[in-house]
Amino acid sequence: MNEYNEYIGIAVSFILAFGIAGAMVVLSSTLGKKKPTDVKLSPFECGMEPIALPMGRLAIKFYLTAILFILFDVELVFLYPWAVIYRDLGVLGLVEMGVFLGVLMVGFVYAWDNGALDWK
Amino acid sequence: MNGPSVADMALLAPELILVGIALVLVVAARRLRSSAVPVIATVVAALAACFVCGWILSSEPKIGFGGMFTVDGYSQFFKVLIAATLVLVALLSVKSFERDNVPRGEYHALLLLASTGMMLSVSALDLLSLYLGLELTTLCAYILVGITVDKPTANEAAIKYFLLGSFASALLLFGMALTYGLTGTTDFAGIAQALTDQGPASSPLLLVGIGLVAAGLAFKISAVPFHAWSPDAYEGASAPVAALLATGSKVAGLAALGRVCQVAFASQEEVLTVVLVVLAGLSILVGSVIAVSQTDMKRLLAYSSIAHAGYALLGLVGGPAGGATATMTYAFLYVFMTIGAFGVVIALGRRGESLDGYQGLAAQRPVTAAIMLLFLLSLTGLPPTAGFAAKFVVITSAIRADQVVLAVLAVVCTVVTAFVYLRIAVFMYMKEPQQSQQPEPSRVPAAVTVALAVAALVTLIGGVFPGILTAWVVSP
Repeated sequence: MNEYNEYIGIAVSFILAFGIAGAMVVLSSTLGKKKPTDVKLSPFECGMEPIALPMGRLAIKFYLTAILFILFDVELVFLYPWAVIYRDLGVLGLVEMGVFLGVLMVGFVYAWDNGALDWK
Repeated sequence: MNGPSVADMALLAPELILVGIALVLVVAARRLRSSAVPVIATVVAALAACFVCGWILSSEPKIGFGGMFTVDGYSQFFKVLIAATLVLVALLSVKSFERDNVPRGEYHALLLLASTGMMLSVSALDLLSLYLGLELTTLCAYILVGITVDKPTANEAAIKYFLLGSFASALLLFGMALTYGLTGTTDFAGIAQALTDQGPASSPLLLVGIGLVAAGLAFKISAVPFHAWSPDAYEGASAPVAALLATGSKVAGLAALGRVCQVAFASQEEVLTVVLVVLAGLSILVGSVIAVSQTDMKRLLAYSSIAHAGYALLGLVGGPAGGATATMTYAFLYVFMTIGAFGVVIALGRRGESLDGYQGLAAQRPVTAAIMLLFLLSLTGLPPTAGFAAKFVVITSAIRADQVVLAVLAVVCTVVTAFVYLRIAVFMYMKEPQQSQQPEPSRVPAAVTVALAVAALVTLIGGVFPGILTAWVVSP
């Protein structure tokens, strides 16, 4: 098991980190005194009572745009390596890429059909 | 390195048919006026795929796509079964979403794509193509479970299924990565070769890898202890989707497990036998016992399907020497009786979803009750139904593999499941109808009747002539 020797240090530090942190949490929750009141049990936050999500709200249309972006991003990921060697692939490579783009475009057409491009 | 040739694409013919129709349905989804068109398209595509698998492609083993994909007797058997499942589920979906706001074109496109994934995974000869097929199936299944977007229960079920499912996929991938790290290849034959060369004293990491791959696949067939998602998912999903999860995706998982155990990890027989015996024994025991306390019909069928997954695994405990033929027979017969039971639930609408709805059914709907009785007897495993033949085959196979304790457990648990299933029969035949009853459809759609008739016919024929499948089942 010699090839694992260099990992021992990492393992030890992991064990120490988890052990000390875990021991603090466990010990304070078992040994500590508990006198809960309503105020103590409420979320800790200064000022106003929390009424909204911490990140705020985001319109759903941004998610749609993000998903459409992924569609074209994935297309590009495959187009780059294909473009580098497309002379070697010949006609078959061209046809294959056409089929691939066609399938991707089906997804785009579907999103378009369902109004994903209307910025309402 | 050459790209795939036309000959490779010909091996993919059944999958291409399904994908082609699915893409057409997606494009046409917003322009469909009639809800019958997607059903007809799905049924035609599935029948065409079934025909191509069973009768056009020869059962001589052929390998394509650089050793990632094969067409052999084993895969063709399962593909015919998956296509038949798709036909029945599509027929059962007719009218079952009338009150829900479900997009019909997308629903059927997802059914087609999920079946394509199942077909790819039964043909996979490489860990990567196996993962691709299984993921295509489960990604479609997540959406199908939650497709009734207006129902909070369906959304909850979909989220639970998605979270647990992605965790299981991660386990599967981790197992595959470890296997690749130890053998240097993802190809099944290559893994088997590398493991044989390394000899029996192989690394403990290999055990972890095999365990993780088995756990990931056990999740797909919902074997205990990886079963927790299925009752919730089936309960929240609409009944046709639950039927697909209980049959098609389970069959695909079993086929994949069979090929992985008997081809890739063939030399690790001792380890795999332990894993499979534990999975099978726990599934049979837990599935049967917990089913006793269920009052929701879809949850009951979920636990029943967990127990049946255990029975199906009995056929694999013999290792490569024992072959997978018992599991194949079991899977085939199990699909039709389970789809039949779900079909009766669908035919009865809201009434069929709770156990109490079956009270007094025989007096009100004698034919439906009689058909349900047939499926219940078959699920129990009583002759002359297919369930008896199926259980006989797998238990014999377990005894032949010297797993007598497991075989005894399987037989004892059959008695427990007899209580579960025959209680419904008692409700149907020996109780008065309830006063405050859930609504039920006044008449069963013709398509559902056809699906029920086919399932009932196969259940009867499989029981009376159990040898009818022997020519078709071949080990991987």
